[in-house]
Amino acid sequence: MTILDLKRLVKDFGGLRAVDGLNLSVQEGKILGLIGPNGAGKSTVFNCIAGVYPPTEGEIYFDGTKINNVKPWNLCKQGLARTFQIVKPFSSKTVLYNVMVGSYVTTDKRSVAEDRALAVLETLSLLDKKDIKAGNLTIADRKRLEIARALATEPKLLLLDEVMAGLRPTEVDEMVKIIMGLRDSGMTIFIIEHIMRAIMALSDWIVVIHFGRKISEGTPKDVASDEKVIKAYLGEEYGVS
Amino acid sequence: MTREKLQSLSLVLIGVIAFGLPLLVRSPTYLHILVLLFLYAYLTTSWNLVGGFAGVLPLGHSTFVGIGAYTSTVLALQYGVSPWIGMIIGGGLAVIVGVLIGLPTFKMRGAYFALATIAFAEGIRVMVENIEYLGPFKLNGPRGLQIPPLNTGLANFMFAEKEPYYYIILVMLIAVLALTYFISRSKLGYYLSAGGEEPEAAMALGVNVARCKLIAMAMSSFLTALAGTFWAQFTLFIHPKSVMSLDISFEIAFIALIGGRGSIAGPVLGAIILRPVSDLCRIYFGDKLPGLHLIIFGVLLIVVMIFQPRGLQEPLTKLYNRFLDRFAAQPDRIR
Ligand SMILES: Nc1ncnc2c1ncn2[C@@H]1O[C@H](COP(=O)(O)OP(=O)(O)OP(=O)(O)O)[C@@H](O)[C@H]1O
Ligand SMILES: [Mg+2]
Repeated sequence: MTILDLKRLVKDFGGLRAVDGLNLSVQEGKILGLIGPNGAGKSTVFNCIAGVYPPTEGEIYFDGTKINNVKPWNLCKQGLARTFQIVKPFSSKTVLYNVMVGSYVTTDKRSVAEDRALAVLETLSLLDKKDIKAGNLTIADRKRLEIARALATEPKLLLLDEVMAGLRPTEVDEMVKIIMGLRDSGMTIFIIEHIMRAIMALSDWIVVIHFGRKISEGTPKDVASDEKVIKAYLGEEYGVS
Repeated sequence: MTREKLQSLSLVLIGVIAFGLPLLVRSPTYLHILVLLFLYAYLTTSWNLVGGFAGVLPLGHSTFVGIGAYTSTVLALQYGVSPWIGMIIGGGLAVIVGVLIGLPTFKMRGAYFALATIAFAEGIRVMVENIEYLGPFKLNGPRGLQIPPLNTGLANFMFAEKEPYYYIILVMLIAVLALTYFISRSKLGYYLSAGGEEPEAAMALGVNVARCKLIAMAMSSFLTALAGTFWAQFTLFIHPKSVMSLDISFEIAFIALIGGRGSIAGPVLGAIILRPVSDLCRIYFGDKLPGLHLIIFGVLLIVVMIFQPRGLQEPLTKLYNRFLDRFAAQPDRIR
């Protein structure tokens, strides 16, 4: 079952075409990886899906309905959650407070919101930090908090934008484990990532974009050996392990 | 005694002191100063719903004070409506005006929002100054309206002594503080803070930031207008400069910033610190240096922002918590 479908998506910023006629679809229960060099338009794709920018052209379907002009908060209520590449914690508030903002989306009751937030923190091993101010967290924990907040909204589809950037190798391994755990629990995930060994290990299917255009797609193995992909990345230090 | 009990006890103690104060303070001058102190604590707490939790800096709340004052006064003078009922009607009018001001301005950020709210407030004040009759309602332009002190009593919201006013504003203050406490712990409170701090992240988490701000603005306008009616009944004379001037809006902002925006105790602490400065300056330097209190506020604001950017409530809350920790028995020691 297709949960997310992009049809000839185009996004212009003034004269710059950041996304150029992109087709792709995300299957329920699977992990789709989106890769591409810096500035390829990956985050812009997420921002279009999540309702931050209305697409210039094309259509976006989520869960069977067209969502081109649906506002971010309504998309969240419909079951679409996202993280930000540049993390945006509510810095002056505690970790628990941050996550409760997310868990309030399906309830008005404080106790329900709190219980769900605590459960999410537990699964992400953040429970012992629940009373720390978000602004005082390490970068690895901030990335985790981004995921925790998004999960607290109980999404059907989770968009993860470079949640491993800036992490140490051991922290990357932990994050990979967390994401695999989410997939095993039935969550559908659409993930942008520069760390190749992570995205290769996680993804069921990978789409590669360059200058906003799809240049390749396939299983991690196929994509890694695709000439066009290697060329697009040439000059940059992306090894495929 | 447990920590929670000690905490409730200290709050009850503060309440008892507040209610008992008029028994000690007999001088009408000092009672007057106390009434204004509570009035500003109330105004700033109402303002704090928008200016503190929603993270914007409205500088036009004097408009709502004016709407409250004029509505109840006009209704009482021309139609004999009890100020208590006029108070509620004024609150309703303020909600309409507040939402109308909020709709276009909440899209703006930082200084632009602050300036826009100043513009609206000043615009409305200048208009009232130049309006003798608004339809059938007599506003009397710059001369304002006098309420003849004829029928004193609770039903008419009019008293010969200061004490009743003191208790009314005290009860209003406690009510608005309780309301703020419940809101800060509710979904709306979480959404307001989240939207104020990181609007994009909040929206992605399901928060309709603009709508939350409008709800906060509506509540804040309503509560502020109630204080306007109180003010009118307390002074029995209102004119645009007294109940609609920007000085009120600025003093509220000073109290909030120095006391601590977005906290419950901040507005009260700020009022306790700033109001006496303001009153003493007016009493002792009123004719020689009329603007002195504003200069002192400015200096205080700079010093506080350098050393305690989150306001004086932060060190004082810490001190209070340390006091609680020190004197509360440890739970395991009780057993
Ligand atoms: N709000 C915006 N206004 C104007 N241009 C933008 C905006 N957002 C992105 N762009 C431009 O669109 C292009 C794609 O940016 P985008 O952030 O989507 O790339 P990306 O693939 O996520 O890159 P990275 O790997 O560095 O995160 C870039 O050239 C960028 O400068
Ligand atoms: Mg990006």
